[in-house]
Amino acid sequence: MVGSPVLFIAIPLLAAFLIPLLGFVWKESVRILPGLVLLYLLYLSLTLMEQVVHTGTIVEVIAGWAPPWGINLVFSPLTGLLTTLMILMGFIIWIYSYRFKNIDFQEAVKYFILLLMLITGSVGIVLTGDIFNQFVFIEITSISAYALTAFYKGRDSAEASFKYLMIGSLSSMFLLLAIALIYSQLGTLNMADIAAKAHLMKPEFKILALIFFITGLGIEAEIFPLNGWAPDAYAQAPGPIGAAFSGIVVKAGVYAMIRVMFTLFDVAGTHQFLIVIGIITLIIAEMSAVRQEHLKRMLAYSSIGQMGLVIVAFGIGTEEGVFAALFLMLNHAIIKSLLFLSGSYLVYHSTGKYISEVDGIARNLPITSFLFALGSIAIVGMPPFAGFWSKWSMLTAAAHSNLILIIGLVLSVSLIELVYYFRVLNRIYFFPKKKEVVVKKPTINALLAMGLLGLLILIIGFYPDSVTGYLHAASQSLLDKGKYIHDVLSTGQLLLP
Amino acid sequence: MIYILFSILLGGAILTFLANKISGLLRDTFFLLTMLGATLIFYTQLHIGGLVNFSIGSFNLEWGVNSFSWYFSLIVLGLGTLAAFYALSYMKGKENLGFFYFSFLISILSMLGIVMSHDLISFFIFWEMMTWSSYFMVIYSGKNVQKNGINYILFSAFGAYAMLTAIALVYANIHSLSIVEMISNYGQFSPALQTWIPILFLMAFSVKAAMMPLHVWAPGAYSDSPMAYTSVFSGALSKMGIYGMILIFVTMISHLPDDTWFREVFAWLGAITAIMGTLWAIAQDDARKLLAYSSVAQLGYIITGVAIGTDLAMLSALFLAALHALFKGTLFMAVGAVERQTGTVKFSEVTGLIRKMPWTFIASLLAIIALAGIPPLGGFVGKWMLYESLINSNHYILVIAIFFASTSAFLYCYKFLFGFFLGQEEKEWAHVKEAPALMVVPMLLMAGFLVILGTFPGILLKPADTAMQTLGFAPTEGHLWSMSVLFNAWGDQVLLRPLVYAIAGIFLFFLIILTVKGWKNTRYVTTKDISSSGEVPLEHENLTFSVNFYQPFLRAVGPVMKHRMITWYREFGAGMETIFDFTRRIYTGNGQTYAIYVMVFLVIILLLQNTIFG
Repeated sequence: MVGSPVLFIAIPLLAAFLIPLLGFVWKESVRILPGLVLLYLLYLSLTLMEQVVHTGTIVEVIAGWAPPWGINLVFSPLTGLLTTLMILMGFIIWIYSYRFKNIDFQEAVKYFILLLMLITGSVGIVLTGDIFNQFVFIEITSISAYALTAFYKGRDSAEASFKYLMIGSLSSMFLLLAIALIYSQLGTLNMADIAAKAHLMKPEFKILALIFFITGLGIEAEIFPLNGWAPDAYAQAPGPIGAAFSGIVVKAGVYAMIRVMFTLFDVAGTHQFLIVIGIITLIIAEMSAVRQEHLKRMLAYSSIGQMGLVIVAFGIGTEEGVFAALFLMLNHAIIKSLLFLSGSYLVYHSTGKYISEVDGIARNLPITSFLFALGSIAIVGMPPFAGFWSKWSMLTAAAHSNLILIIGLVLSVSLIELVYYFRVLNRIYFFPKKKEVVVKKPTINALLAMGLLGLLILIIGFYPDSVTGYLHAASQSLLDKGKYIHDVLSTGQLLLP
Repeated sequence: MIYILFSILLGGAILTFLANKISGLLRDTFFLLTMLGATLIFYTQLHIGGLVNFSIGSFNLEWGVNSFSWYFSLIVLGLGTLAAFYALSYMKGKENLGFFYFSFLISILSMLGIVMSHDLISFFIFWEMMTWSSYFMVIYSGKNVQKNGINYILFSAFGAYAMLTAIALVYANIHSLSIVEMISNYGQFSPALQTWIPILFLMAFSVKAAMMPLHVWAPGAYSDSPMAYTSVFSGALSKMGIYGMILIFVTMISHLPDDTWFREVFAWLGAITAIMGTLWAIAQDDARKLLAYSSVAQLGYIITGVAIGTDLAMLSALFLAALHALFKGTLFMAVGAVERQTGTVKFSEVTGLIRKMPWTFIASLLAIIALAGIPPLGGFVGKWMLYESLINSNHYILVIAIFFASTSAFLYCYKFLFGFFLGQEEKEWAHVKEAPALMVVPMLLMAGFLVILGTFPGILLKPADTAMQTLGFAPTEGHLWSMSVLFNAWGDQVLLRPLVYAIAGIFLFFLIILTVKGWKNTRYVTTKDISSSGEVPLEHENLTFSVNFYQPFLRAVGPVMKHRMITWYREFGAGMETIFDFTRRIYTGNGQTYAIYVMVFLVIILLLQNTIFG
């Protein structure tokens, strides 16, 4: 074995503590260390992923306590896929922000520690097999996210961060309630164990716990109407953090919610509920995005809408539906990160980040504008780019389940999406440039990061087979609840004294 | 070979784009070589019936050529190559040329891809590539991008999504994306699907063919693209809609139990498109807009022919499709030539170019004759077949409608010729010279071909006939046509020779009389040279005869033109924007409100828990 899943948590946490210390010795190490860590983890997750797809789930037991009692990490095709995706996004965001806060050493230390914590927390949410442990990771993620939102210490960012904090603490409260309910009923916190014993719960408690979970995790997964904090947080956080929110943090939230609904309980009606709530989120968010005046807010609403689409796809519930949902998540992470990263250069020096300030900027920033355009065209699902394949798999999944109405709704919403993205593109390329707008040329590493994302879009667009195999394995692993329970609990049997 | 063809076009497009950074000459060379190479390979190496397949994303993709798609590729590549030569000269000195040539080649590639796709997924991919590459052209000039550009992309996407829905439905039902299998399994679909799948497909195709009521994007998009591309846009790209419509009508609609009303509806929509397009064309002062509306109208005829769907109607539709590419291509090029030489395309500004741009005039004249359907040019043959097919299938009112549209078309044809080329010569345009040879020769070639087609329509009718046989029609050669109009009886219903001779005779007679009579008395005047009524025109008053041309006619048809589709769409759009603005305000920006939302959500779900999770 190359390494164990526990390294995904241990190494970045250790690195996060080491960063300030090493910073005293050699200042540059503050910037280099996170990259090295993420690069190693990327290698690790890719090799583990390859192994898991062929030989089956790895269950890592922490400190020798067997699964029903101790904490365990589950590296299945599904969690492995998401981990790989998150680490990859983290790595690209690190490349992008390598020169971030170039002058200020203290700021850089904070930034990189928080970024590492954010990634660790999200990866932890995905990997853990213990519900309380998941709660802890959600808290780690949230707290670093609050801090990063307020990173610029401005009035607006403080306000956004406070809103996030307020809603986020509601989320923690409901999550704790739900966990307490489950523990009082079943006396266990292990997810596989809960899943195996869920039928023993009284139905009313089960549904109550589920509702608290939905509310708590729905806040992290940005479903309507629980997502009020999101646009502000996305818009006020630094550009790369916006990318991290949409590429990493939301993904973890959606994963947690889906895990609860698909694996923990088998309550009737969850699929329909997911479809309805997803559609509402999608429609409201996309409609709100059209009339936005701020570029990043527009991207934030678009991001929320896309997550609504993901939730609809999960709600279809068939293997095809889950496949489509995971594909959408993958593409959304890549494309939306590209949009956030390139978009923040388009409005770099602007205080208001108004869309009108990107007018005619393509002449000054040809590459950045091109990548933004590539991202926009890809995210509205135009072939032959990445977004098309996920949208297509979503539509066929819906058609297979005879959900024609959903196809109609999703496509009508796509028209709205098309309008606001193309309006911005037209501005970038064809409007006369405003004189007062000062242009900031992207640094080499930022260009590299954006170029990597653009390349991924093209690769997946022209050769979707490069990822579909993993996605199929992942979707099977999510739906095969029995195997999950068996995998986790049987590891425990082996280790019992 | 198909791979090579596509790689040449794609690689050529990218190389051209990159070469733009190095030198203009290199870029032009790459562009031309790509276009010529593709055409050469297509005509020499590609075999009808050849098929390649490979799989991507667990789908099996199939590309191949049959006679039907060959016919349409003929239009695309023929017009595309001529337009490419024209573009070299027309686009000289403009900005972003790499971008232009890139989009040009990609749209040629995507059109070839559409006709060669044998499976739905590559059909859709090429369809979308065609949309965005042509969208780049619409916004290329940078004028009205937020209006015309968004209109175009929105309507196209609407159509494309309708098609995507249909494809998803088909895939969900037969687990295959092959077009052949879709057609062969069509009979087993449920009745609802049998109706909806063709409707959804036809929605997509009507958008591209600019059929009422989905035509709104067309006038703006056609007139805003650079003219070098508009000839391809209107000539070839809109034909992709016709291509799809023919496929759907032949393979699906004809198997519907009640296909008559379906055909009637589409035939009438086509006729209304023709009438309204013609009327609006007459009202235009901008030559590009005039031709754009005229394109909409001409496609209306073709749609009617496709919808009627008898042997003769289909043949005429195919014939008119190719012909429209020829004459509309020529006319858009002529407008481009005028635009480039004079800097304006308004009839009320530029007049009397006949001596300055004689070759452009001759090309336009021939194209106009073909467009108006006057013998002995090709247009007559096509229109005649259309009338005959309508009469044979007892659509008398439809004939009247089409005939009205086609006759009214004379008005704008005349306006076009007269406005630009005839009339008083103004000092302002004394400096104007004939367009460069690279622009004139493609126009003249196409115009010449139109003349030849008038006499030997068989050159096009033969491949059209073969194409129809691929679609399952009986060979029409024996009973519908023979090789030459002038030396044989046309069809078996009317003897053309006397008619053609008579028209030629009358034409010659008047030509001689007028020349002899007017030779001495000709006096050259300017617009300010007015000696009537003692009225002295002001210096800045526009006295060009094209101002308020056809005013009485337009007043007469005014009531029909009062209601415009676009107003409805605009109001709909404005309404939607209001709703969007309202939705945006759900997010108040107030943290307390958001907290309340969370609690309300929780309470609602708790209250409804038995309904939701029952």
